[in-house]
Amino acid sequence: MISKPPSRSALLSTSAASIIVFLAVWELICRAGWIDPIFLPPPSAVFAKAMGMAGEGTLIGNVLASGRRVMIGFLAATAVAIPLGIILGTSTYARAAFDPILSFLRPLPSMSWIPLSLLWFGITETQKYSIVFMGTFAPALVYVIEATRNVDPLLIRAAQNLGANRWQVMKEVILPGSLPQILSGMKVILGLAWTCVISAELVAAREGLGFLIMNGKEFFQTEVVVLGMLLISITVLVTDFVFRVLENRVLRWQR
Amino acid sequence: MAFSRRVFLHTVAAGSAVAVAGMPLAALAATQVKYGGSAWLGHYPAYLAMTEGFLKEAGIEQDWQSFGTSSSRMSAVMSGGVDIACTGIVSALALMARGAKQFSVIAIPENFGRVEGLMVRGGVKSIQELKGKKVGVTFASSAHLLVLDLIAKAGLKPDEVTVLNVPAPELPAAMQAGQIDAAAAWTPQFDAIRKQPGVTVLADDTQFSLYQSNKVTPGPDVLVVRRAFAEKNPEAVKAYLSAYFKATALLRDKPEQAAGPLSKLTNLSTEDQLAAVKGADWYSQAQQAELLKGPYIEGLQKLAELLVSHKQIDKAPTVKEWIDTSFV
Repeated sequence: MISKPPSRSALLSTSAASIIVFLAVWELICRAGWIDPIFLPPPSAVFAKAMGMAGEGTLIGNVLASGRRVMIGFLAATAVAIPLGIILGTSTYARAAFDPILSFLRPLPSMSWIPLSLLWFGITETQKYSIVFMGTFAPALVYVIEATRNVDPLLIRAAQNLGANRWQVMKEVILPGSLPQILSGMKVILGLAWTCVISAELVAAREGLGFLIMNGKEFFQTEVVVLGMLLISITVLVTDFVFRVLENRVLRWQR
Repeated sequence: MAFSRRVFLHTVAAGSAVAVAGMPLAALAATQVKYGGSAWLGHYPAYLAMTEGFLKEAGIEQDWQSFGTSSSRMSAVMSGGVDIACTGIVSALALMARGAKQFSVIAIPENFGRVEGLMVRGGVKSIQELKGKKVGVTFASSAHLLVLDLIAKAGLKPDEVTVLNVPAPELPAAMQAGQIDAAAAWTPQFDAIRKQPGVTVLADDTQFSLYQSNKVTPGPDVLVVRRAFAEKNPEAVKAYLSAYFKATALLRDKPEQAAGPLSKLTNLSTEDQLAAVKGADWYSQAQQAELLKGPYIEGLQKLAELLVSHKQIDKAPTVKEWIDTSFV
C-alpha cells in the first residue's frame, strides 16, 4: 500500500514548528546563562533591537540601501554577462579569445577590487555598484556560457537542416534551450551579490546591512550583527521567491 | 644489556641535572604571555620589551599576535586567545557597556594626542567651514569620535557634514585624489596626509572637549589583561609590567635607541620612526597609580558618556569597575 504524500499545509506546519523549536531552544540556552549574550544574543534581544531600529526608521533604510546596491550591481552584471555569455557559448573563436581573461577574473574575490574601485570611482555609490558588479560578472558569465553550450547540438543541427539562419537558431533554439539553466544560475548569482555587498559596504558606507554588521562588530553589539545576518537571509529568501515566480512565468512553456 | 641500559639512564639523568642547574632561573620559570599587537604606536612598549630582552629577563616569553583593529584584538581577549593587549579605549568601553567582565585595565602606556587629528585642504580655516563638505574617517575609531565632538562643539548638526567611513590605510589616497575634503587619522596616516601639498591640520586631539579637563584624548590606549590569566598568574603580570615600563622609559629617555628596533615592526624610515616615538608622551610605572585612580579615570567615564550621547554605545559603564591597580 502506497502512503498518501503529505499535504502542503502539513509540510508548512512542520517547517513552522521547526523554526519555533529552534528559536525556543536558542532563547532557553541564552536565558539559562549557558552562553554569554556577548557571544550569542538571545532571539528576544535581536527582535527588540529590530523593533527599536524600525521605530527609529533606520532598519528599512539599511535594507533598502543594500537592496539597491545589490540590484544595480547584479542587473548591470547580468545585462553584460548574458549576451556576452551567449556569444562565447556559441563561438569557439570568441571563447578562445576571451577564456584567458575570464580565467584571470573568475578567482578574484569582490574584496580585492576595493583599492582599484576607490581610485576609479572615488567614494561614491558607483564604487559600491562596481564591487557587486565585479564580484558577480565572471561567475554569471561562466553560468551563461555553460548553459549555452549545454543546448543539445542535435536540436541546433535539426534547425539548420530545416533552413533556419543563425539568428533564427539563436532565437528559436539556443535561447529557449539555455534559459532554464541561465535563470537558475542567476538565482545563485543573486545570492553571491549579497556577499559582495558586504565587501562594498566596508568602505565609505553610512548605511546598508554590511555596514550594520561591521559597525555592530566594532562595538560588540552582537544583536545588531545577528540582526544584519538575519535581514540578509530574509531579503535573499524574498528575492529568491520573486525570482521563482518570474521563472515560472517565463518558462511556462517548459511545464 | 641491563647494565648498559642502567648506565645509559644514569648518564642521561645526570646530564639533565647538570643542564637544568646551569639554566637561568628565568628560563626555567618562563611564563608564556600571548600578546595582541599591531604596528600602532601603543604597542611599541610591548614590542621593545620583547626585542630588547626585558621580558626574557623578567621570566616572560611573549607570543606576539597581530590584529588589524582593536575590536578584533578585544574579541581575541574575550575568547581567551590573547592574555595581554593594548587597545583603543573605545573597543574596551564598548565591551564594558555590554557587561563583559573577562578583562581588566591594568596600565596606561602613553598619550598620543599630537599624532592624531583632522586635516583639511582648500583653505578651510574652521570647523564651521566644513559645512557641506566630505570628511573621511574610520568609523568606530578615536578619530571618528574626535570628528563628532568637533562638529558638535562647532554648533553644526551631524547631517550638515558628510562624514564617510574610510579605512585608515585608504585615507591618504582618498585625500590625495580629492575624493574627500578633510580626513581625520592617526599616525602613520596622519603624517602621510599632513605632508600632502595644501593640507593643514585643523585640529588635533588636544582640541577634544575632554582633553582640557581630564587630559583624555578621544581614544586613549589602555593595557588590558584577561582576568582569568591574571588570577592564575598574578606574579607574571607584575613581572610583565616591570619589563613593559622599562621599555616605556627607553622610549621616553632614549628615543633614538628605541627607534631602530621599532622600524622592523612598522617599516617606517628611521626619521619617521623617531618622530612617531617623540610624538607621544610615554608614561612611567610611577605615574600609573595616579593615572588609574585620579581624574584620568573620571575622564574615561566622561568619554563613555560622550560615546552614549553620540549614539556609539547604548549605555555608559562604570569604568572604575574594570580598573585593577594591584599589578602596578
